[in-house]
Amino acid sequence: MALVYLNTLAHGRSGDKGDTSNVCVFARDPKDYEFLKKVLTVERVKEHFGPMVQGEITRYEIDTLCGMNFVMKHALGGGATHSLRLDTLGKSMGSAFMRMKIEVEDKK
Amino acid sequence: MKRVRIGGGQGFWGDSPDAAIHMVRHGNLNYMACDYLAELTLSIMQRQKMKNPKAGYARDFIDLMEVIGKEAFEQKIGIITNAGGMNITGAVEALAETARQQGLHGYKIGYVTGDDLMEKIPDMIAQGCKFENMDDAGDFRDIQDKLVNANVYFGREPIMECLREGADTVITGRAADSAMFLAPLAYEFGWKEEDMDDLARGIMAGHLLECGGQGSGGNFQYDWRGVPDMDRLGFPIAELTEDSFHITKAPECGGLITEQSCKEQFLYEVHDPANYITPDVTVDISRATLTQDGENRVKVGNIKGKKKPDMLKLCLGYHAGYKVVTYLSYAWPDAYEKAQYAADILMKKMKRKGMQYEDIRIDYLGLNALHLDVAEIDDELIKRTNEVVLRIAIRTKDKKNAKMIIPEISPLQLNGPPGASFFGGRAHVTDVIGLWPTLIPRDAVTLQSHILEVE
Repeated sequence: MALVYLNTLAHGRSGDKGDTSNVCVFARDPKDYEFLKKVLTVERVKEHFGPMVQGEITRYEIDTLCGMNFVMKHALGGGATHSLRLDTLGKSMGSAFMRMKIEVEDKK
Repeated sequence: MKRVRIGGGQGFWGDSPDAAIHMVRHGNLNYMACDYLAELTLSIMQRQKMKNPKAGYARDFIDLMEVIGKEAFEQKIGIITNAGGMNITGAVEALAETARQQGLHGYKIGYVTGDDLMEKIPDMIAQGCKFENMDDAGDFRDIQDKLVNANVYFGREPIMECLREGADTVITGRAADSAMFLAPLAYEFGWKEEDMDDLARGIMAGHLLECGGQGSGGNFQYDWRGVPDMDRLGFPIAELTEDSFHITKAPECGGLITEQSCKEQFLYEVHDPANYITPDVTVDISRATLTQDGENRVKVGNIKGKKKPDMLKLCLGYHAGYKVVTYLSYAWPDAYEKAQYAADILMKKMKRKGMQYEDIRIDYLGLNALHLDVAEIDDELIKRTNEVVLRIAIRTKDKKNAKMIIPEISPLQLNGPPGASFFGGRAHVTDVIGLWPTLIPRDAVTLQSHILEVE
């Protein structure tokens, strides 16, 4: 087994609505989608973000696009302009998500 | 078969005009819609208008129309925009003046008023409207006296009314972003209220276009190195017929339209894909398809529409205190340690001086200011770090406390750990505007469509 960044298996983008951040995550190779569905549980995502995301996380699946959408509440430090973060809109939440380390078979 | 091409000319207030100009000239367009409003933009515009009654709209749009207004008028490219912001008639007058100067006789400017509900709020409270926060945050009574603006998101109908009256350009305030795109499509194809799948297609055309370059290779995580000619990034164009829907772009510009670029924008700021709520229709994209159909051409399929919501979204902006953000930079050796020590000194001083604050954040740019808890930092990285920038941000209830920290920053260059460099200029206090999204009944809103013809 080897550890790889999620970035090598998936891509996505983050957006904001108030203090809610959503990150959509798509399999780079459709063959990995089922594997990603197993790995990217809400619990795993919550653990990954830790105190950065204070609220509930919901996962939606869009099988036809080999993608998932993670909606994370109270995730932007209060949202624009309340938030004191540098990235008040969470533009980098997408890449922060892709930093997750995933265990894969060695051949990957 | 009738085919309508609509472009997304602007993704936000402050966007580059280059792609909009290019697509009007080379995009073979029927319409172009330009989005200027993000969630807090109207609060900012309202504050500008309070300082100057002639301000409060996106002046960028008038500047853009000075370049392309005449060409669009002559080629019969309809332009729809929410650039009116908090001063719709101000924007209309400025555009009419531009059109007069260019000799555009008979140029018709349609505009929609009625989204600004600020004056109605006391009546609505009296009638029992609770203004419950959609994000379950706080009690409305706490912000009731601090409101800056109150604008309701509205749908296609009043924009279509302007188009039916022959408008060449339509200016609105808080139309839902995607309604600016849906309106001309529904008008051209004659879509009715019951044609929910069609309305949903129109919304998703808008959704894929409303962020401009983000739909054609900008902010593209999949393969940003592979995006051609980002210095002349083209913005996306939607091409629809009665039974097809494609995303493409103009020839001879940069950027790309691929399955992946469309995917990243497709779910951008969407929550539940089976229930994407807009004033016109509830959109279901949970089984949608995106398929490459030629170079820079993606086919969008299987978009479903469901009944529109009973309520409309009202966004209230309110005064939520003050903020100061300030920076100091430090270099090797011990850059991180020095920056931490400087923050320590500052906090001790401010405590002694009795500064009161609501919230404070200390970050280190170059290490963890963006990825926060997820950033990977170890001793080796810290030891080798060439430079870090200390960033301190505070939020206070009143201006006096916010101001206290400002004169304490630059002295740290001479009075603190070695090698500090003060940058970004002397910090200043900015207003914090909170956002209060809520739902109100449709019958609380009356929108009016108007036409101004340039003689």
